[in-house]
Amino acid sequence: MSLWFELIASGLITGGIYAVVAIGLNLQYGLMRILNISHGEFLMLGAYLTWLAHTVLQVNPLAFLPVVALVMFVAGVLVYRLCFYRIVSTAPAVEVIEARSLLVGFGLLYLVQNLAYLAWGADLRGYSFLVETLEIGGARFNLNRVVVFGFAMAASLALLAVLRFTLIGKAVRAMMQSPTGAQLVGIDTKVLHPVVFGAGLALAGVAGALLSTVFEISPAMGEPYTVTALIVIVLGGLGSALGSLLGGFLLGLVETFGMHFTSPSLKMVLSYGVLIAVLLARPKGLFTR
Amino acid sequence: MSEPLLAARGVSVRFGGLVAVDGVDLDVRAGELVGIIGPNGAGKTTFFHTLSGVLAPTAGRVLVGGDDLTGKPPHAYAAHGVARTFQTPRVFKEMPAIDNVRFGLEFAGRTRQHAHDAFDEAETILEFLGLADVAAVPAGGLTPSRQRLLEIGMALGARPRVLLLDEVAAGLTHAEVDASAQLIRRVRDELGLAVVWIEHAVRVLMNYVERVAVLHQGRKIADGDPRAVAKDPAVVEAYLGEEGEPERRAA
Amino acid sequence: MNSRHALLALLAGGLALAALPWLLSDFLLALALSCVMYAGLAVSWSMFCGPTNYLSLATAAFFGLGTYVTAWGAGALPYGLSVLAGGLVAAGFAALIGAAVLHLRGAYFAVITFGMGELVRHGITYYEKAFEGTVGRIIAEAPESTTVYWMVLLVSMGAVAAAVLVRDHRLGLALRGIGSDEERAQTLGVNARRSKIAAFALSAFFAGALGAAMAVRWTYIDPLTVFNPFIGFQTVLIAMVGGAQTILGPIASAVVFGLLTEFLRLQFPYLFLVILGFLLILLVLYLPGGIASLFERWRWRRGNV
Repeated sequence: MSLWFELIASGLITGGIYAVVAIGLNLQYGLMRILNISHGEFLMLGAYLTWLAHTVLQVNPLAFLPVVALVMFVAGVLVYRLCFYRIVSTAPAVEVIEARSLLVGFGLLYLVQNLAYLAWGADLRGYSFLVETLEIGGARFNLNRVVVFGFAMAASLALLAVLRFTLIGKAVRAMMQSPTGAQLVGIDTKVLHPVVFGAGLALAGVAGALLSTVFEISPAMGEPYTVTALIVIVLGGLGSALGSLLGGFLLGLVETFGMHFTSPSLKMVLSYGVLIAVLLARPKGLFTR
Repeated sequence: MSEPLLAARGVSVRFGGLVAVDGVDLDVRAGELVGIIGPNGAGKTTFFHTLSGVLAPTAGRVLVGGDDLTGKPPHAYAAHGVARTFQTPRVFKEMPAIDNVRFGLEFAGRTRQHAHDAFDEAETILEFLGLADVAAVPAGGLTPSRQRLLEIGMALGARPRVLLLDEVAAGLTHAEVDASAQLIRRVRDELGLAVVWIEHAVRVLMNYVERVAVLHQGRKIADGDPRAVAKDPAVVEAYLGEEGEPERRAA
Repeated sequence: MNSRHALLALLAGGLALAALPWLLSDFLLALALSCVMYAGLAVSWSMFCGPTNYLSLATAAFFGLGTYVTAWGAGALPYGLSVLAGGLVAAGFAALIGAAVLHLRGAYFAVITFGMGELVRHGITYYEKAFEGTVGRIIAEAPESTTVYWMVLLVSMGAVAAAVLVRDHRLGLALRGIGSDEERAQTLGVNARRSKIAAFALSAFFAGALGAAMAVRWTYIDPLTVFNPFIGFQTVLIAMVGGAQTILGPIASAVVFGLLTEFLRLQFPYLFLVILGFLLILLVLYLPGGIASLFERWRWRRGNV
């Protein structure tokens, strides 16, 4: 019984992080058709910022989260304005936006990742934070993982609430359904696009900051998260934030259970297997009607 | 009477709970020019989608030249000689106009001959449509009304036996509508095609076709001589529900 | 330029390139090999993805499958035959996944082709570990480096020739129609499914054959090296930077990238990639049609003088 509980909890913890990373990427894609393949690099930047703040300035990583979010938000607005604005405003067709933004994403990936190598080298970095264990219902967890899960959930749910209940959130959801419809309502994409892009990177940065409290970090740490996020958003449906949240949990559970009952080396086979099975059976994603 | 070239047998299309087309029968023979009219949302275009394989009917069958093509992909319909235009012109925007016409000749029309071999050349088709001067212009750069004509050219390139025209007259001036209608009759006469022509603007159609079918809420409520159909109480009723008598509309 | 002229030009170029082993040092020949390989990969990618506007990230999977065919057949199959077999296996795999996923478009297709590649990589890793008790494989008997160069050149020339023939024949027209408006192309008689699968498999054949031909360059092969997503990304970059709608564009861009990569990467690995990333962003933003659009602009200007 406690094994099941432990596996489920551990799957949800992993899934929570996946969800935060995926929701940001999915919002950007759903709204602007920008598939930012360098998403994970900004997660990595968030992790390094937090690591620097903790080791150099002895700042508590959790207290530093708002700073990371703000810095990455500003970075996101800048990146959007410098790199993606021109593509979105000049491309003749949606497919062209997708192709060009993917290429620019590759460019950013090379640029950011290798700047990080130049700045901090290839060594793994880390620090210990809240390593005492916590016992819940007979299962034991490191406290930091539980805290990470809590914050990941809080961030995801806050975003879902913003999307559902605020004016800007409703606008974003309207635009994902029909760009022209939202224009009729008088929404200014010139403001909305950079804000949503910035919010996506802020989420990635927060995920990175949280991960740095649990795992060792390196300049290449972001890439696998981008790939996982892509899987999650396809699972949950492109453009659906709630779908990404559920997809994240699903993938976290599948990975944790699969690895426990087969072999850890099959982790990626499992996630891709799920992805392909879902795409073949429900091309629009699991949680879309 | 000759075998129908195109036959719809009890064709129905449902989207979820909505019935867009409801058990429609239609026979069209070679050399016939049949109009289909109906108020907005009568299911005209959806019905056309089933006749060209773009949409599979949820019930009923579609036969072309006696072969049952129900559920087959669009290219099978094209190979059997069904060619169509779309309500909003769908030309290959990046390709020169002449390649748009050549496209059908290379694929759907590859194994057939036109009654007139003059129509086996993309150049002749463009000339016939008065588009010879823009042969080399990418189709996306043409005016909407010329794109409409080019679409007819693309369909003719497919060396069709059945030509399905979806709202050729929309957005054209009276003179242009007249010219297009003359052209359609000429094509029909010279090549002996079966032509089915959907039009929202009823008056236009009534003047040019010998037979007209009326769709209303997905059902066929009349089929026959245009003058008789216009007086049919069910038809008048259907149009009164919308905006008035068929003859007065679009006038 | 019609097919015959293009093929003659290709033959002349190929013969000239075939003479390089007598003219170049070993280092420069390795450089030429890398350029020729990337040209072949980029041209084969553009063959399908250029006209149809599909974004395939499966190149690494095809390439890796090819290398593993050589590795598995080492000793049993002669070099030429492994190259052919590598191409055929990749083409078969492409036809299979193509039949399953070619109805998806845009980001979905990109993600799933990438996922397929990763699935094959991890699948092979698992198979080798579980059943063969090994992580990688050593290729003991490798042909001379000049033989490898000629083989890679031959396959790349084959890719260019195939691209020319596809472009000038019905398949190319069908693919352009599918890229422009798939349903419209179908109503004009194109069997879209068959055309896409055929072109996807053909393009995979060359990627797989190139992988099989290049396999002997590494003495040690493991899934992480040969299924390196970088190979796939690099191919897409080269093709799109060169202009995927053309044939000469990807070739020109492969030479530029190949030279840059080999010269700078070894000496300044990180700085090189920073610059590459920066250049890539600039190119996409300010020259979105690729290098090929420069030629077109130039030709257009000359024509208007």
